[in-house]
Amino acid sequence: MPLGKFLIKRLLQGIFVIWGVVTLTFVFRAISPGDPVNMIVDQRASQAQREQVRENLGLNEPYYVQYYEYLQRMVTGDLGFSYREGRDVLPIVLERVPATIELAIAATIVALVIAIPLGVISATRRNEPADYGATLFSLVGISTPNFWLGIMLILVLAVEVGIFPTGRRPVALHDALWLFLTTFYVGDLLTWVKHIILPAIALGTYFTALITRLTRSGMLDELGKPYVTATEAKGLPGVLIRYKHVLRNTMIPIITVLGLQLGTLIGGAVITETVFSWPGLGLKLITSIRQLDWPLLQGIIIFIGISFVVINIVVDGLYAYLNPRVIEE
Amino acid sequence: MQGADKPTLDRRTVLKLSGAAGVTSLGAIAGCLDDPTSDEDGETDEIVITQGQFIETPDPNDHITGPYFNIFDQIYEPLFNVTPDLDIESRVVTDWEPTGDGSTELTIRDDVQFHNGEDLVASDVAFTFQRMIDDEVGPISDQAAGLGAIEGAEAIDETTVRVDYGDAAPSLAEYQFGNYGRVVKEDWVGEQETQEGAIIGDSADAFNGTGPYQVVEYEPGVEIVLEPFDDYWGDEATFNTVTFNEDTESSGRVSALQAGETDLVDNVLPDDVSTVDEADGIEIRNETSLRSIFLVMKNGVEPFDSQEFRQAMNYAVDNQGIIESILGGFGEPMTQMHSEGIFGYNPDLDPYEQDLDEAESLVEESGYAGAEITLHAPEGRYLNDASVAQTAADHIDQLENVDCEVNLRPFPEISDGASQPYDDDGIPFFLIGWGVITGDADYAIDPWINPDHPLETFRDEDAFATLEESKAESDSDAREELLQELNADLRDKAPFVFLHSQDSIYGVNQDLDWEPRRDETIYLWDME
Repeated sequence: MPLGKFLIKRLLQGIFVIWGVVTLTFVFRAISPGDPVNMIVDQRASQAQREQVRENLGLNEPYYVQYYEYLQRMVTGDLGFSYREGRDVLPIVLERVPATIELAIAATIVALVIAIPLGVISATRRNEPADYGATLFSLVGISTPNFWLGIMLILVLAVEVGIFPTGRRPVALHDALWLFLTTFYVGDLLTWVKHIILPAIALGTYFTALITRLTRSGMLDELGKPYVTATEAKGLPGVLIRYKHVLRNTMIPIITVLGLQLGTLIGGAVITETVFSWPGLGLKLITSIRQLDWPLLQGIIIFIGISFVVINIVVDGLYAYLNPRVIEE
Repeated sequence: MQGADKPTLDRRTVLKLSGAAGVTSLGAIAGCLDDPTSDEDGETDEIVITQGQFIETPDPNDHITGPYFNIFDQIYEPLFNVTPDLDIESRVVTDWEPTGDGSTELTIRDDVQFHNGEDLVASDVAFTFQRMIDDEVGPISDQAAGLGAIEGAEAIDETTVRVDYGDAAPSLAEYQFGNYGRVVKEDWVGEQETQEGAIIGDSADAFNGTGPYQVVEYEPGVEIVLEPFDDYWGDEATFNTVTFNEDTESSGRVSALQAGETDLVDNVLPDDVSTVDEADGIEIRNETSLRSIFLVMKNGVEPFDSQEFRQAMNYAVDNQGIIESILGGFGEPMTQMHSEGIFGYNPDLDPYEQDLDEAESLVEESGYAGAEITLHAPEGRYLNDASVAQTAADHIDQLENVDCEVNLRPFPEISDGASQPYDDDGIPFFLIGWGVITGDADYAIDPWINPDHPLETFRDEDAFATLEESKAESDSDAREELLQELNADLRDKAPFVFLHSQDSIYGVNQDLDWEPRRDETIYLWDME
């Protein structure tokens, strides 16, 4: 199958998934107990205000009409209107996206910086103390809930030791970078780094443990292959063999997981963002649930769903490009 | 790995060096910047206030949320000074006089400027009132609920505004317009980007008030930074920089306070109080709020149609015990429909005290012995609400002749049930909270007994007649007397199981000279 056809097929599947997410969010709102108007207006609101909101949202219409109009709006990119915030949902979501992406990427970097050397050491020193240590770290990392880790990091490194802030994001990365590039002022950039380290560690620990395991098992598989013996026989240095040849081959599944996990990190940052007051999509999602802001809640879920689908398609495309056997299979 | 080279020493050295470099870098990053919220000399010329809720809209006339007002009041300033006793005093409005024909004329200062340099004139004040009550002019505003008696406002001249309230009592109107009125400039609003009538915007330009502080930075959902407005008509601002930010978790706010990142946090949960108490340099300050928690009983539904049964429920519950055990002592038992300090509060009333014998006897009298009832309660909406409900239900369940269980359910279901008619048996017994934002008993009582209000849960013609009489009573003292009488009557008729008025609990930097208020408002001009 040609790559283009493969991508079109994946795109169509993605559209189907997005339609499913959109439909589910509509169904969940429809079957949720309570009058949606009561969830939107203040409890002190008069009957007239309630009716006005009901009419504005088209809640007087039968469900099939509401669903049709809902789909129509989604197709045009209209995620609805948040009465709580007094504005459209889409800009609210978009202004939160950079913070979540920053956190997801920072967590990925933390994971890669720690996990790959650890995985390599673990594989090359199999059944030695270093391997046991790395395996133990993986086990602990995978088993530790990130909200607990986040709270512990805050209590120890922010409150007790005081070397990191407890959370928040006083400056956006793109603003800090722009300032740095235009004026060489590094202060904002360092402030950003200082604020993102703990959330990135909290979010990235599970990911670190996962990549460590993948690297270790991938390396072990590769190390047993004939080409390794051949390169060793040629007298190439061990470091070169491991890091240039073996690790490179190990990276293919790791890159796939990286891409897929990036989507998971975007969706999974909810708890971390809440613990650290990191103003991303996850924190907004929690706020919208607390305030029962259904339009915003739906919008965020749909946006996360679309992001996940897009990332998956991109990763699949890249993987198919790098490894054409995937398409043939 | 036979046959492979093992340059272990080199690699280890490299790893060690890399690790050391990493740690050093982290330390350098962590240490190379001072905490942005603290000064080197320890002087407090800047302040950070962290709230559990941050503004979601830059429009000051839209929502009716306390933490929003804490931010907006510094920028837009109230029309009147609201004293800690909830009386109103001159501020932007210097004088106000009822005309005797259903309106009051407000006299506005002539030296007030907006932050954009334009003068404040009477038509701006009139426009602001219209904006709050008429969704043709502004957004569908929650604030309309607090301005129920106000019919409209009109500028008479540059410095005089007439506020119309028809047949309503002047003092009732005064409590309403006295608590609202964060004035916006009509022309300026016209130039702003709006949606559904509400101002939107994600920068400092989306704010333009007349208050002592102006916005210099605004990042939606993150923080807002204020600095003194040089042309402010009143006293010089206390702080050079003020930052409001948000942390939705009580433990997060307390951690930020402990770490010295903030000077004042609101809404500290009782579980976190000891953490603050045990830390150096910070402390808990609290005040009973105007927010009360109670159990509503719809009197159109059996067995709650019996006054004796409703009274029995009040005698069954140990309010003080709930306050001590569930709220850590941070509350006051309710004696009537609202807490102390509200206009119309009756000081002669006592709380119901637990008396199980009396309760059982009243149940027998009611004819509903053997009743099985369910208390519906939200979880996470109010302070320890699920535990409060469970304990109250346990107390009722102790009665030999009543079985009571709890059904915890999402708040929308409770809210939905509350909005059904008074004789709807879907959710006839539920826990809810109510804040009296106008400082007037009318706001506390009207929704529950007014047949025209969606929240009516208690139908009683006599009580409603007294309320209506109070609304029209022009003499303030006589009106207060009527409301006190109504409170006494409703205490006996027991539309609620009166629980408690909860405390507002703040964590505060000990260097900050500031005391909490009953209305939960934070005014920077009250701080040093």
